[in-house]
Amino acid sequence: MSPWERRERGGLYYTRSRKENGRVVREYIGGGPLGQLAALQDEHERRQREEQAAYWREEQQDLDALEAPVNELSEASDLLVRAALLASGYRQHNRGEWRLRREPKESQ
Amino acid sequence: MSPKKANSAAQNNESTSELIEDKKKLMALIDRAQDGDKDALPVLRRVLDEEPRIARFVDLARDVERSIVKRMSGDDVFSQEAIPRNLKAMREEVAGQNPSPLERLLAERITVCWLELQYFEAIYAQNIGKLTITQGDYHQRRIDKAHRRYLSSIKALVQIRKMGPAVQINIAEKQINTAG
Repeated sequence: MSPWERRERGGLYYTRSRKENGRVVREYIGGGPLGQLAALQDEHERRQREEQAAYWREEQQDLDALEAPVNELSEASDLLVRAALLASGYRQHNRGEWRLRREPKESQ
Repeated sequence: MSPKKANSAAQNNESTSELIEDKKKLMALIDRAQDGDKDALPVLRRVLDEEPRIARFVDLARDVERSIVKRMSGDDVFSQEAIPRNLKAMREEVAGQNPSPLERLLAERITVCWLELQYFEAIYAQNIGKLTITQGDYHQRRIDKAHRRYLSSIKALVQIRKMGPAVQINIAEKQINTAG
């Protein structure tokens, strides 16, 4: 919905809509220079919000990109630890504690 | 993208896909060994012996470290110099004397995870007054995940050291002896 409302006498009137307790409330600002000024101010604030949102998205992507290889390294080294323990005759008990197998170790 | 950057990106993709392949291979063997398949153990040892895997993972850790340091220090040349020095000292302290290749890798991992955690906490602290509730939650979740990674990196090293001399295998022709 356009914030500019045409009045019966033909003039344009600037309005602002916002949500209050789940309902849309329309605030009547004014026509002429006052309306123009409010429209400019709203436009400026909207652009600022968009810029901040874009900056935030970019920041998130950068941090995700930084986090991914750390995850990769963690997973890979956990696998190597598990592999080393298994190859040395250990067994993980119920996905928790590592215990040495009872049976004699296989010769390498 | 410059040819140098493209080349480096291609190399990164190649090494990442190799790491993923390695991980898949290892995971399958670990599952078999964990399920009691004795035939999997000699194969697992051979796979661990096959290539200098640990060196590749160490390279990955250093790459991550460099990119975090770059972001942390920006144009500050003192930090660019000082942070890697501190990290080196920390790595050496964690690894201890005569570390096995696996211990060295785990020390690298601890250092990287610690650095990552410091970085995320610093970003949060710098922006705390400017963040919305959603953004604050997002940062907190990221910090929590980094913290968990850091703790589990320490746990992995402790686990290997706790097992003592029993954990002896050859990786890339170097004996891994976790007796310390």
